[in-house]
Amino acid sequence: MQSFIATFSRRSMLRACAAAFIVAAGVGTALAQSQPPVTMAINQSPWLNSFVAMVEEYENETGNKIELDVTPFGGLLEKIRNSVRGGQGAYDIVNVNSLWLSEIYSGGFLAPLGDVQAGYGLPEGVLTYGDTTNWDAEAGTFTGGGALMGVPVNGNVQVLYYNTDIYAKLGLHPPKTWDELLANAQAIQKEGEAYGFVPRAARDSIVYNFTPYLFSHDAAFFRITDSGKADVVVNSPEALKALQTYVKLATESGPPGPGNIAQGELIQLLATGKGAQAIAVIAAWGQLEDPNASRVVGKIDAALLPAGPAGTVASSAGHWVAGIPRNVPPEKQKAALAFLDWFAAKERQVDYVRAGGVPVRGDITGADLGDDAAFRFIGAYSQNAQHAVMGLPFAQASEASDAMALSLNRAVISEMTPAQALNQAAADLAGVLERNGFAVTKLPDL
Amino acid sequence: MTLRLGSRILANTVVWGYALVILGPTLWVLSNAFKFKIDIITGATISPFTWINFNELLFSRQSDFLANLLNSAVIGIASTAIVIVVATMAAFTLTCLDVRPWVRWALLGWALLFHMLPTLTFVGSWYLMFSSVGLHGTYFAVIMTHAVHNLPMALFLMMSFVGALPRELIQAARMDGCSYGQVFWRIAFPLVRGGMIAATALTFIFSWSDFAISLTLTSRDTMTVPVAIATFAQEYDIRYGEMAAGTLLSIVPALLLILLGQNFIVRGLLAGAVK
Amino acid sequence: MPAAAGVTRGGIDAMISNEPSYKERRNKRWIAISLLPAVALFIVLTAFPVVNLLALSFFHVEWREATSAFSFVGLDNYHRLFSTEKVFWDGVRNTAFFAVTAVSCQMVLGFSMALAVRTAGSYGRAVLTGIFLLPIVVPPIVIGTMWRLIMGREFGLANMLLGLLGLGPVDWLGNPDIALASVIFVDIWHWTPFVFLLMLAGLESLDGEVIEAARMDTRSRWQQIRHVVLPMMMPTIVVTLMFRVILSFKVFDEVYLLTSGGPGTATEVVNFSIYRTFFRQDQVGYGSAMSIVTLFAISVVIILARGFAQRRAARRSAVS
Repeated sequence: MQSFIATFSRRSMLRACAAAFIVAAGVGTALAQSQPPVTMAINQSPWLNSFVAMVEEYENETGNKIELDVTPFGGLLEKIRNSVRGGQGAYDIVNVNSLWLSEIYSGGFLAPLGDVQAGYGLPEGVLTYGDTTNWDAEAGTFTGGGALMGVPVNGNVQVLYYNTDIYAKLGLHPPKTWDELLANAQAIQKEGEAYGFVPRAARDSIVYNFTPYLFSHDAAFFRITDSGKADVVVNSPEALKALQTYVKLATESGPPGPGNIAQGELIQLLATGKGAQAIAVIAAWGQLEDPNASRVVGKIDAALLPAGPAGTVASSAGHWVAGIPRNVPPEKQKAALAFLDWFAAKERQVDYVRAGGVPVRGDITGADLGDDAAFRFIGAYSQNAQHAVMGLPFAQASEASDAMALSLNRAVISEMTPAQALNQAAADLAGVLERNGFAVTKLPDL
Repeated sequence: MTLRLGSRILANTVVWGYALVILGPTLWVLSNAFKFKIDIITGATISPFTWINFNELLFSRQSDFLANLLNSAVIGIASTAIVIVVATMAAFTLTCLDVRPWVRWALLGWALLFHMLPTLTFVGSWYLMFSSVGLHGTYFAVIMTHAVHNLPMALFLMMSFVGALPRELIQAARMDGCSYGQVFWRIAFPLVRGGMIAATALTFIFSWSDFAISLTLTSRDTMTVPVAIATFAQEYDIRYGEMAAGTLLSIVPALLLILLGQNFIVRGLLAGAVK
Repeated sequence: MPAAAGVTRGGIDAMISNEPSYKERRNKRWIAISLLPAVALFIVLTAFPVVNLLALSFFHVEWREATSAFSFVGLDNYHRLFSTEKVFWDGVRNTAFFAVTAVSCQMVLGFSMALAVRTAGSYGRAVLTGIFLLPIVVPPIVIGTMWRLIMGREFGLANMLLGLLGLGPVDWLGNPDIALASVIFVDIWHWTPFVFLLMLAGLESLDGEVIEAARMDTRSRWQQIRHVVLPMMMPTIVVTLMFRVILSFKVFDEVYLLTSGGPGTATEVVNFSIYRTFFRQDQVGYGSAMSIVTLFAISVVIILARGFAQRRAARRSAVS
């Protein structure tokens, strides 16, 4: 019945033609055995082309097929949920964003990689971005000791972008601390040609963007003290300092209306040269270096995020991890793992960067890339990647993030003082934790 | 209606004023299809002309836009045809014929209730239903769900158009011994053609621009235009150029349909004038 | 003509089979045939989702070990909605304001656009109809992202135009006080064609003789419209209004793409809260409760409105 109703696919014809043209493997030794074709759910994105290039390389080398089902970013989570929750999954590999990892891991939808291939471990040098490749079901969080659940496919962490022209003109240097960043911003703002610092304080991503400030001040949203017990610490004095710094940077030396600045506007300001400094994900680099999309080609550089009072650096992890669902046949799971393992090797990662991707290894240097100025971000990236953190490493991360976002956003638009905002955020976070079975202790109100 | 000169000038000004407010942003959006991204985001009025967006949209490895246009057309036409036929017949029966009140209440009440719920709350159920019978990603699934999704509005619209028909005609035909079916086909149907065309246009537009249902129920081979365009609104890189190019290409079939429908409106009027 | 044909046919039929039950059966069959498809579609495709939604609102759903665990929580979700929830109710207030403002503007604009098109020549009519329909033919996601660009503070066209007039830039979407108005404007721009199309169809189906008679009776065009056209258009207007109200309670794309509910809760609307709860937070039970409550609210509005309209009509006909 299905074959009558299902549509005839132009793509299958194209695929047949393409298969006829595949050159027999001559380079590389990779996987000798042939694997069944594998379907992967992935989002359309600027780095997709580089990933596609790697997929093609894999197909040429081994003759194994990887099918990519490309979805809009806004719909990928729903598609993944639908597939992994069903009886028979539609995808053999799912590309999971860091923000969704805890939900997908805690649901038990993915097959631990150690189950797919006995004793499998991540190759040496592959980053774990705050242990987010592992999950401890008992503790309900990411720990190094937990089971290995996925392989990163895109290492998107935050870096500090700055405009080298403006720096040179005003004699500035990449800041080492938040105070230095603020000083730079004020100097630039006074000069008048560009905004000193562009915040990203729109409600839907403010928790993610506040995380590096919070963690670099040695504070956190909450801490799990014991199994089932949580300590809400988002309204600590250190956190207050962090939020005050955040609000100051957002409101005093940047564009007006920070409460509605989302990623699009931030990149727009950087790319047109009207924003001099900003903290954003490294994946935006491609746009800033594209002459069709940017006026500051060659004039942008990346640096390590500023350190807090005690010297701690934190960068919010926005990376992607590929997992293998449980509800697909074992042969497909093995084929999926074969591809992911191939992908994580160092030579492949160098190819990946050359094709425009962000590597998932911390051991790639400028020298590996021939010291090409187009990849000058690699040093800052590797540094920031070592300090990647996940702000809300537990199953109900999205719920908690949504709950706190409003108070933080209100602080930025001055509808609340930072102290009020943090107290409210603490109350909301405690509510979420309690509703999900934690015994919660809170700090006294600020 | 003839007008005095003063009010005619006023009417014209108002009309062309509306047209300007609508055309302005639309033309700007469409012009973005031919610009580089940097020119779009800086709002440059004069900028170099480029085909790069169409290239990306039509010929890149990840985008199969012409197939998406075809999918949208197939789904749109099929679901609209179903909706209009079902809605017109039901509207006629509910409005003009003797139907038990509880039937009318139940059907209309349920239709309205269903229409008031947000679409995204039951798209998940539909996914479950269709994938459990193996119909996920098929044309059939999307056509049927689009049809039932647009049915309430079409039903109520057709009821208002049928309700505007003069009762005497219907009575006369009934008294002449026509069966219900004959009354419908010979009398009611020709006279509501004008309203039918408006309802058809709206239903088609709703199906064509639906995103929530198509996102969940289509697979790569049946992806529709709104989902395809949405893939260019990426996490941190909104590709305005490709989106505008996609819009330009998708407006053409939609507008064609509407302009063709215009002729039918006029012809439908002439038929109605022969009362 | 049709009547004549009907007489012959009816006559022959009466001769062939004179039993009333044959006619009755045919008519009953017609009723079944005409209503069954609609009923079938609704039952097969909507019964399960709606009942499921209602049921879910009494549960809390969790996923462990790749299976779903439903725990019955009774009225907990509703209780939470009415006691500790704040953002949703801000959304309700915004949505109500949104619905009233946007819909009334759309009705007035759409109706006047339809009137205007009627007075244009036939060539102008085709062109104008094509133009007026453009906004609903553009995909909603494009409308949202493009208007976000146009209303952007730095480089948006809106501020550029203001600059040409010598006025300072306005933060259309970032200023909490005017963000909602901006979103409403985009919604009006987007949906007026819907009203226009229906008003046009309604106008063109009006009985020409009555209009002619009215023209000769009254002095000004405005009086014509008010006392003759509007009352005759009432059924169409009512249906259009009802659907615009319902659809504006379901507004989502504009808010999601322009402001994501911010800044603060300035542009939070009900459907967006439901989206966040359902999809972002994966709280299916709580989201279902929100949907049911919203459903009740809209139903109450519609019932009240109909009661009001009916009483007004009764009073009118009692007076005249």
